[in-house]
Amino acid sequence: MTEETSGWQACSRCGAKTDVCAFCEGPDCLFTICYECLNLALRQALAQPHAHGG
Amino acid sequence: MEGKLDWLGAGLPTEGTNSERPRAGDVARKDVPTCFLNERLGDVRGWVRAGGWNACVAVNEERVVLGLLRAKELDADPDLRIEEAMRPGPSTFRPFVAIEEMAQLMIDHDVESSPITTSDGRLVGLLTVQDAARVALELREAGDSSGQKEEQT
Repeated sequence: MTEETSGWQACSRCGAKTDVCAFCEGPDCLFTICYECLNLALRQALAQPHAHGG
Repeated sequence: MEGKLDWLGAGLPTEGTNSERPRAGDVARKDVPTCFLNERLGDVRGWVRAGGWNACVAVNEERVVLGLLRAKELDADPDLRIEEAMRPGPSTFRPFVAIEEMAQLMIDHDVESSPITTSDGRLVGLLTVQDAARVALELREAGDSSGQKEEQT
């Protein structure tokens, strides 16, 4: 059974749901990447080890 | 200056082993044409193409990026205002991003050009896929040849 994906895509790296590819903004990109994975891949942001910040 | 990423994002000088490798901000073309939201597309297209460009970045008076016009947007109805024709809020990238990673992403995603901005959105330049791929290839070849030299010694 396939999962319904109309209106969103799965990030090719983490699987998170995203409306459009964060890199090319394409709705049907073969290499869809979410904003978080893109920023980590390009080192534009640092991974956050603790959600609570402590 | 808030922190390290803001320092890097502003394109300020860095130290360390990776600081001499070309980055997106080094390779981006600083002479990219820019336009304002209230200009007429037909007028902008005329001087953009006359200058040999196929893209134009829409900015405000402080050079903060508001939109991007690639070939497809430049070919739209000439009577549109830039605000109506542009891709609003395009994905932008910081000057410190490694050129190899940008080149790979641009090729994978078939992106012809990407605006490079400081972390507060000011335009640094436009990175084209041709420039990114050329520099990434040069880096790879330089790395391969230095590796071969090390093996020979």
